[in-house]
Amino acid sequence: MSAEDAEDKGAAKSIISVRGLRKSFGDAAVLRGIDLEVAEGEVVSVIGPSGSGKSTLARCLCRLERIDGGSASVCGADVQGRHKNSDIARLVGMIFQNYNLYPHMSVLQNITLSPVRVLKMAPREAEELAADLLEKVGLSDKIRARPRELSGGQRQRVAIARALAMNPRVMIFDEPTSALDPELVGEVLEVMEKLAGSGMTMLVITHEMMFAKDASDRIVFMDDGLIVEEGVPSQLLFNPRQARTRQFLQRLSGGKPGSGLSGVNTDGA
Amino acid sequence: MELDFSLVLPRMGMFISGAAVTILASALSLLFGAALGLFVGVMRVVPFKPLQMLAGAYIFVIRGTPLLIQLFFIYFGLPAVGINLSAMTAGVIGLSLNSAGYVGEIMRGGIEGVPAGQWEAGKVLGLSYFGSMRFIILPQAVRAMLPALGNEFVTLIKESSLLSTLAIRELTMAGQQVRSATYASFETFIIVGAIYLTLTTVTGICLRYLEKKWSAA
Ligand SMILES: Nc1ncnc2c1ncn2[C@@H]1O[C@H](COP(=O)(O)OP(=O)(O)O)[C@@H](O)[C@H]1O
Ligand SMILES: [Mg+2]
Repeated sequence: MSAEDAEDKGAAKSIISVRGLRKSFGDAAVLRGIDLEVAEGEVVSVIGPSGSGKSTLARCLCRLERIDGGSASVCGADVQGRHKNSDIARLVGMIFQNYNLYPHMSVLQNITLSPVRVLKMAPREAEELAADLLEKVGLSDKIRARPRELSGGQRQRVAIARALAMNPRVMIFDEPTSALDPELVGEVLEVMEKLAGSGMTMLVITHEMMFAKDASDRIVFMDDGLIVEEGVPSQLLFNPRQARTRQFLQRLSGGKPGSGLSGVNTDGA
Repeated sequence: MELDFSLVLPRMGMFISGAAVTILASALSLLFGAALGLFVGVMRVVPFKPLQMLAGAYIFVIRGTPLLIQLFFIYFGLPAVGINLSAMTAGVIGLSLNSAGYVGEIMRGGIEGVPAGQWEAGKVLGLSYFGSMRFIILPQAVRAMLPALGNEFVTLIKESSLLSTLAIRELTMAGQQVRSATYASFETFIIVGAIYLTLTTVTGICLRYLEKKWSAA
């Protein structure tokens, strides 16, 4: 990304704005002052060791956790405010590691439930929307299927379609491919890359370094409840400033093949 | 001894009308009990302590006292405070309230058994607490609890025999009447037992069918 691009982004409307965010579970301070801005159309990947607070940050942004200090807002709306669930749902789409599809409903019903019940869309209109979205994620033929008849990759793509049906301003992904067999990761990442290409604002917690490198505008490295370092992928991955970032990346590339940076040419910075 | 149904069979009409009353009372109690039980089960889990405690106290009393005493209380006790009910009304109310206590506890278990991720999905997709409860949690809870609910329904049919103590002419009462008219106790209660067995078996088959249909759906 060139300096001008960066400036453009800086000038663009801020979608996610987090200032000094703190969150504890009992005595454990899990988020210890997070500052993060995500601009409209930006794709930001969040990486970091397990337990560093990435999921908690994502969950604070969609009101699944209460915030203890600082502030977090999405499209100018304070997520701590006394909103109804429907207010946040119009702004933020959340993708979970284990999909959380409704097992007793068909794929179609999974997608249309909230548009009909929350957005008060006409059922016919919601079904058309669902069909469109399923086509986008390549699952048109599964519209009548039940979640348990689908592979993990297909389930996650349905979850993405379901979230998109609410027409959110930003999509948050919490390790969307971590529960998948390796051969199913690609189909989900492909859908996410397409979504990124269409201009969707995205915050993606991931261990897929190839995705972080190729699909994101910026990477944020979190450790121990803090953002240690952030930067454009080429800088953060290949020329990290902080020793902790370097350590984390080294451990990843030394890890099992197929994960982490083993596929990335680390000399090419 | 030899079985001789010749005295009893001419009175088949009494058994049939008794069975009809048993079916009616059980079906009504099942309906009201299930509806009220669902309500009690939801109250048991809503994030509002007073309601939880109220539902908890209800379940505690219902499960901790004999059904017979509950029936006597409603039919013989309530007139003391000016509430006079017909035997059938008192009986159905008693059975329903009793069943609701057990169904409530079953539903609480079912609701708590639905993974937290289902609540979270409903919430981030904009549903209110009761919206998630209605469309996401309860349908899964009821499906998971269908075997336990089926047991409860079968129990209800059997326990409806206690309605005979309120002089309601249901199946057990019909049996007693046939017995005192014919003195063929053995044959009479074989027939009564067989009819109960048929009712509980048919109910069981229906529930298993429902279970299969729902889990395949
Ligand atoms: N509901 C919770 N109650 C208590 N501790 C929690 C809860 N959720 C997360 N934690 C703790 O917070 C820390 C950060 O968790 P998490 O945000 O899931 O990290 P990450 O997603 O980066 O792996 C972990 O130590 C975890 O055990
Ligand atoms: Mg996590």
